[in-house]
Amino acid sequence: MLELRAVTKRYGDRLAVDNLSLSVEPGKMFGFVGTNGAGKTTTMRILMGVLEPDAGSVCWNGRPADADARRGFGYMPEERGLYPKMRIRDQLIYLARLRGTSPEKAASAVDELLAEFGLSERAQDRVEQLSLGNQQRVQLAAALVHEPTFLVLDEPFSGLDPVGVDALAHILDQRVRRGVGVLFSSHQLDLVERLCDAVGIIGAGRLVASGTVEGLRTKGRLRRYRLLVSASPGWSQGLPGVSVVADDRTPEGTASTLELADGVDPQALLDTARAAGSVHEFRPLSPSLTELFREAVSESPSNGQADAASDLDAEQVVA
Amino acid sequence: MSAPLSFTAATRTVATRELTERLRDKSFWMSTVITLVILGAVLFMPKLFGDDNTFTVAYAGSGADAVADAADAQAKPLGMTLKRAEHPDEAAARKAVADGKLDAYVGANKVIVKNELDDQLGIVLQNAHRQVVSTEQLHQQGLDPGAVQAAQTVTPLTVDALEPTDPKAEQRGQVAFIGSIVLYGQIIGYCMWVAFGIVEEKASRVVELILSAISTKALLAGKILGIGLLGFLQLTLIATFGLFLGNATGMLQVSSDLLVPVGFVLLWFLLGYAFYSAVFAASAARVSRQEELQNVIGPANMLIMVSFFASFYVNFNPDSPISRLLGMIPPFSALCAPVRMARGTAPWWETGLALGLMLAAIGFLVVAGARIYEGAILRMGAKISLKDAWFGGRRRAVDAAA
Repeated sequence: MLELRAVTKRYGDRLAVDNLSLSVEPGKMFGFVGTNGAGKTTTMRILMGVLEPDAGSVCWNGRPADADARRGFGYMPEERGLYPKMRIRDQLIYLARLRGTSPEKAASAVDELLAEFGLSERAQDRVEQLSLGNQQRVQLAAALVHEPTFLVLDEPFSGLDPVGVDALAHILDQRVRRGVGVLFSSHQLDLVERLCDAVGIIGAGRLVASGTVEGLRTKGRLRRYRLLVSASPGWSQGLPGVSVVADDRTPEGTASTLELADGVDPQALLDTARAAGSVHEFRPLSPSLTELFREAVSESPSNGQADAASDLDAEQVVA
Repeated sequence: MSAPLSFTAATRTVATRELTERLRDKSFWMSTVITLVILGAVLFMPKLFGDDNTFTVAYAGSGADAVADAADAQAKPLGMTLKRAEHPDEAAARKAVADGKLDAYVGANKVIVKNELDDQLGIVLQNAHRQVVSTEQLHQQGLDPGAVQAAQTVTPLTVDALEPTDPKAEQRGQVAFIGSIVLYGQIIGYCMWVAFGIVEEKASRVVELILSAISTKALLAGKILGIGLLGFLQLTLIATFGLFLGNATGMLQVSSDLLVPVGFVLLWFLLGYAFYSAVFAASAARVSRQEELQNVIGPANMLIMVSFFASFYVNFNPDSPISRLLGMIPPFSALCAPVRMARGTAPWWETGLALGLMLAAIGFLVVAGARIYEGAILRMGAKISLKDAWFGGRRRAVDAAA
């Protein structure tokens, strides 16, 4: 199991990561979401040991992660890059060897991976000769080549077409089935929602929400239902524990969004609706991760300010 | 599947990559061939143009044959060959001299040459002339030339030098000087490779992936060792080729004596490369784009250039006080010391001091260079100031994070 315990990192006056704790179990996929500059990349770099935290620790299976433990992790940095002039196969073998794989094992693992990614015929090509999509595949192969015990992927889906996204999701899923833990960041929240067992929402360096997507949906939140009933607005008034969020007149009748207090049976609501008129639509409304995300980051107090500061930094980086 | 990886193993893996990737690079072989061709040309040039020891001479007058024979006898021990030409009269001979077909025309009491009489040829011809004419004059005065000659034959003074100069010192010095020129090319070339390699890793961003696996010091050490080993092998190849070719063309008499300057050049390659590669590596780590590289390595480049010109001075004034200083003080000693030391005229303490100072400078630069490298290598974007790099180790690095 991978754990971050109360990790803090500052750059000068700015707190990039603030007392952040999280854990990812083997065979689970953890989605890391947050606005630009919220501290995702810094957290991942600390996780990989590229950066050292000012406080807190990274633990692997209960013990502080040392260089040897981290060498077992696979990493896809935000700043992609491989040696442009080195042949793909040699390059992957080299990276596997830097992570402690024996030459023979590295060679066979690379050949298997290249076959899996459909790149066997390009094995002797230089990286710079590949299309961007294929370069991205080689980059992922670089993270997988030593059969990692844990995967840290910074924005692995960015820049992929839908077919590429599915292929990558499939590859990750296979690793997860073998018991590899995965932590990845993404701005594609629908993807995170689809793939991840758990998510963490980070804002201004703090983990503002974390847990399963289902858990985040229900936690501290009343259930909402949407109904389309051929009745006039206000049909649901007087029902105990039901409050009206919206009641809009439509050609078919009234489209209502209702919030149910704890203990209210939705079937009782349906009965009332049927008594009022014919029911064209009746479904629970669960917030998407995108909505949860917006909610979470807008609740985070100092968020706006931190964003402005980090955006500035990001620009400096590119320049 | 991954196993613990020691610092040495990580360094060796990096060094092997640096070596093999460059051996596969066409530009490496191109530069090797070009260096060998230039060296070959330098060694062959005198053979092609300057075969100075054969002269064509014509003689006139009654004593022509006698002077010619005497001249041949004089020329032989000096390693000169005289070819005798015949010209019907002085006008024809003058024309031949003017056209450059004839080196000298010896008439009665005069020699006709084009611009000036070659020093050695002059000695040969003057001696031959004196011998023939003096024999004649002795005859005229009724003396026996044989007896006079016998009386004049004196054993030359034997020279007893208190501090004899090694007759081979000059040759050793020249070999070391040529070696020093090659050394300049090697040091600048291979340190540039180190610098390019570092910026390549930063520019392509692959450095973050690598540093997530191994330590910064292992990456730096592997890069410098791998490229340095290649440079050393190439320099050894060049030296072997040079000695072989010099021997074949007769330019050098290759003996164990000449291995001294070659050995000094190889030793000072190791020292000079260690010194400058640390400087180049620290400089290169400060920038993220190849375009900015010239900017940061300019001062180091300048230092090598100055040392290079200083080595010319040392070659021409090997024993001047300035040369002695240049041969001892880093970084000048990297290129100047071999020239001075190979002659064998430098006292042992000077050689020892030069080595000691250089090793101390290397020790300092490797530690300081590694620290700057470590402080700058993960920071992308604009050039990192030396101060920021110095205080910026891994702990505070990657300001650019988000």
